[in-house]
Amino acid sequence: MQQGLALQARDVRMEYVDQQSGDRLLAVDRVDLDIEEGQFVSIVGPSGCGKSTFLKIVNGLFPATEGTIEIATPAEGSAHAMVFQDSSLFPWYTIIDNVAYGLVCQGVPKKEAQARAQPLIDLVSLSGFERKFPYQLSGGMQQRANLARALTVDPEILLMDEPFAALDAQTRELMQAELLRIWNEAHKTVLFITHQIDEAIYLSDRVLVMSARPGRILADIAIDLPRPRQLEIKRTPAFITYADQIWGMISSELKPHIHDVAKTTGTVA
Amino acid sequence: MSVAIQSQPLRPQKSRFGRLLDNERLLYGAAGVIVFLALWEFGSRSEFIDRSFFGRPTGIIEAGIAEVQTERFWGDLFASFSEFAIGYLLAIVLGIPIGLAAGRFRRLQFALDPWLNFFNSLPRIALLPVLVIMFGVFGPGSKIAVVFLGAFFSIVIPTMQGVRTTDRRYLDVARSFNASEWLLFRSVVIPSTVPFIITGLRLGIARALIGVVTAELYTQTEGIGVLIRRATELRQGDRALFGVLLFTISGIIGVEAIRRVEARFQKWRPQTSLERR
Amino acid sequence: MTASSPGIARSRRQHPDGSRRLRFPSIPERVRYGLIGFVVVLPLWEAVVQFRLVKRVTLSSPSLILEAAWEDLLVNGTLWPHLFQSSQQFVLGLGLALITGVPLGLALGLFRRLNYFLDPWLSAIYATPTIALVPLIVLVLGLGLESKIFIVWLEAIFVIVVTTMVGVRAAEARYLDLAMSFRASRWLTFTSVILPSSFPYILTALRLGTTRALVGVVVAEFFAANKGLGFFINFSGTTLRTDRVMLGVIILGLLGVVMGEGIRRIERRFEKWRPDFN
Repeated sequence: MQQGLALQARDVRMEYVDQQSGDRLLAVDRVDLDIEEGQFVSIVGPSGCGKSTFLKIVNGLFPATEGTIEIATPAEGSAHAMVFQDSSLFPWYTIIDNVAYGLVCQGVPKKEAQARAQPLIDLVSLSGFERKFPYQLSGGMQQRANLARALTVDPEILLMDEPFAALDAQTRELMQAELLRIWNEAHKTVLFITHQIDEAIYLSDRVLVMSARPGRILADIAIDLPRPRQLEIKRTPAFITYADQIWGMISSELKPHIHDVAKTTGTVA
Repeated sequence: MSVAIQSQPLRPQKSRFGRLLDNERLLYGAAGVIVFLALWEFGSRSEFIDRSFFGRPTGIIEAGIAEVQTERFWGDLFASFSEFAIGYLLAIVLGIPIGLAAGRFRRLQFALDPWLNFFNSLPRIALLPVLVIMFGVFGPGSKIAVVFLGAFFSIVIPTMQGVRTTDRRYLDVARSFNASEWLLFRSVVIPSTVPFIITGLRLGIARALIGVVTAELYTQTEGIGVLIRRATELRQGDRALFGVLLFTISGIIGVEAIRRVEARFQKWRPQTSLERR
Repeated sequence: MTASSPGIARSRRQHPDGSRRLRFPSIPERVRYGLIGFVVVLPLWEAVVQFRLVKRVTLSSPSLILEAAWEDLLVNGTLWPHLFQSSQQFVLGLGLALITGVPLGLALGLFRRLNYFLDPWLSAIYATPTIALVPLIVLVLGLGLESKIFIVWLEAIFVIVVTTMVGVRAAEARYLDLAMSFRASRWLTFTSVILPSSFPYILTALRLGTTRALVGVVVAEFFAANKGLGFFINFSGTTLRTDRVMLGVIILGLLGVVMGEGIRRIERRFEKWRPDFN
């Protein structure tokens, strides 16, 4: 793999067998992708298009049926860590135990893991909540803890699967700004999945537009907006131009499928 | 340094038989049954296990065949079955309405709660002496009473819970369309209570069967329970276990019947994906 | 009206029209209506027997039962040895059932193949009323302590195994996925995800097991004992001492309720660990 690349995917396809009909269906169709170190890349697409599936393949939860993916492994730290849509903090652990969990999985002794987790808890502005239990935190705070947990293992690439989807609109905006702040300080490569176009443009250096199932990359749009970005940038003409462009692509993908909404049950994505 | 994630192509579809063999649940289950039966059979034949106590698979079948040819057996079977049926039906007929009422009227529930809790955690065998004094040793009275008590509480309590936990949202929707209280009950509360009632029915069957055996073992007048006791006293392990087997089969049939009833009432439920690991 | 500073609670109840009336301390409705049953049934019961509408031997009466309680519990203390015997069997049988049942339930939940192997037999025995096996058990093991403990163990173990197994299976996929995405070892996954999320179910198993163990004790004592609460009830029945029978039944029922409620309290403290809690 080339120098300076964090991730390189070639020709990734994902086939699966539909439980009911027995047919072989394609979830992800020929994805080629290069991500440079330190880049923030988003994938946007209609619901069920396979973008989450692709992320899970990168995370190693299940293998693709074809193609290769290479991830740069750093000297220290993990190759990647995933931030799930649902915070999945263990309800029986305190926040600090949850955040330190990734390290404990790697065999790091508990005290040391907690010590290493502390700065990340501070980074995500959850100082003081270390000994609380997840049920005592709001949705936004739980997601911040979720993020801290992923950052604690010092991953080369951070995989985020619609992490803000479960939050209300206002919290969501605030979390987007928070995420950029944290990303600035932590200098991570990020692969971010969302179905919200605004979110993708606001956060990323590049936005990949995925088609409806089977998912292929329709476009790779470089976002040329200055950083650091404030939330107000969402109302500037340049931003809106990008939004229109991407929405145009997605809506033409969506139109034939308006009546298919009811059928998307039990899909792999 | 980089790590490569390999891909794994889908395996080709197997033939029907291939997939059947793949079905681990079936395979291991069948293996479990066969292994145990074989051990039991040979253990008994080689005198390792005492036949008069434990019987033997083939012996049980033989005893069963012999038994069904006697007249007494059918008398016992009828007795047990009718005790079960009458007690259980009575429990349904009384239990469901009372459960619904108690769920609907909070104060009724408060009044009934202590009694329900008390009788539910009480081993019903303890009531047999009283029931026998009331209904006499002979005749089905005491047995039907035990069956009834066992099934009744199992049905009332879940039914009541079902009514109490009706989803508020559906009630709010119905009320916003000005539904009458009775319509509300019929169209929202009862359908959403059905799963609970079914659970109650299922528990009730188990409790009812236990009631039958308990009462018969205690009163020793007639029924399959008496068959078991007699056979045990005569050291006829095969015959005794045949009796036990009859109860096991009844239990399985009962539960399966409830499952069928449940399926008919729950057609509106989406298929949930079970265990994917 | 005087403006009260915010945050200071009114210490005296005031009627909406401003006057202050004497109020009885509010007894929660639940307790009030709960007592109705007793307030109605007990006098009715007493009356029915006193007026010879029902024979004394059939139902006994509250006053007679109280007399029996006074005699057997306090005066000659004949009930205590029986209670002691029963509790011995109960604790030993239930303890054994927990020690063998919980690990087995965990194993069955974790190891799919073991589950498939044992499932047909477990289901068959689970569907059988264990009491049907009591004559055989007494035949094999005799009338001593062993047969009674075995019966209690047999009654309790199945519900413990099944409930624990359900608890393991209930471990939510999302937590398991999470552990897997952090490359947790099998052992760590077990201790950090499966055990904590099955714990509430294990408590439920304990509660259900307690109920069944109680049944087991009574059943065993009815058929194979000459001491114990079950024996006391049975013997009193045979000798037509209905007052003692009722006394025994009431004590038995109360024990069941108290134990069940106690464990339920503990269960509630761990509700938040349940995977389906939201």
